Amino acid sequence: MPETWSEYFTIFMSALAVGYLVYEIDRRRRKLHDIWDVLGGEDAELTEGLVSMVRNGELRPYTGGALA
Amino acid sequence: MPPASQVSPVLEEAVVPEPLSHAEQAASGDTEETLATPRFQIFIIDAGWNSAAHKVLRENFALLSDLQKGDPIYVLSREKSVEFIRRNYADLVGKDPIIAAHDLDLLRRSGTTGFHGFRLHLGLLRTEQQALLALQAFCRFLATHRQSVDLEAEIRKDLRREGIIGAIEIILHHEPRELGG
Repeated sequence: MPETWSEYFTIFMSALAVGYLVYEIDRRRRKLHDIWDVLGGEDAELTEGLVSMVRNGELRPYTGGALA
Repeated sequence: MPPASQVSPVLEEAVVPEPLSHAEQAASGDTEETLATPRFQIFIIDAGWNSAAHKVLRENFALLSDLQKGDPIYVLSREKSVEFIRRNYADLVGKDPIIAAHDLDLLRRSGTTGFHGFRLHLGLLRTEQQALLALQAFCRFLATHRQSVDLEAEIRKDLRREGIIGAIEIILHHEPRELGG
């Protein structure tokens, strides 16, 4: 058991540091998954929307030139 | 260029005889054929926010296009992008420019019910350096996983590795590489 205030303080600060690390790692993991999104069944409608634009001739493969 | 109605029958004829998947072609060592057949189709959706990501995409698009030769790239106009996001996918507002890569092998085999590609939300990156790194990572990923047998597993493995590396960087007090922000 800690006996002095300084020991309590050290334990408290260590717990804060560990908590911050866990929070920061989780935040970065979530951000990474927000940026790189894996397409699954729930994205079927979006994929179909894009593919149907190609099928209908609304979109054609890019062949050159600058983007707008 | 001939109208789509004249072009599509020829394309359909060329595709109908059950083409081998890239995984099957890779297994048979048929590399020339593999390179000739597109593995991915890429869509660019950009409503045109005045953002660092928009600028980086515009400045590097020609290079992206050159690196992805063989895979069709479809660029939605600003109007089409706005309409597409506004009408159906409000949660994508502000995440554009978005680059979606569909795995044509998987779409042929299992449609859109399961994993069938991935999307890069460039608009979530705040600086030009972050956006450029992500764009380069995107090109590298497509180039190195073109003949992947299990693309989903490889994407998840890469994301896990990025997460672990990020954690180590935080612990060692290194400057984060800014890919994840």
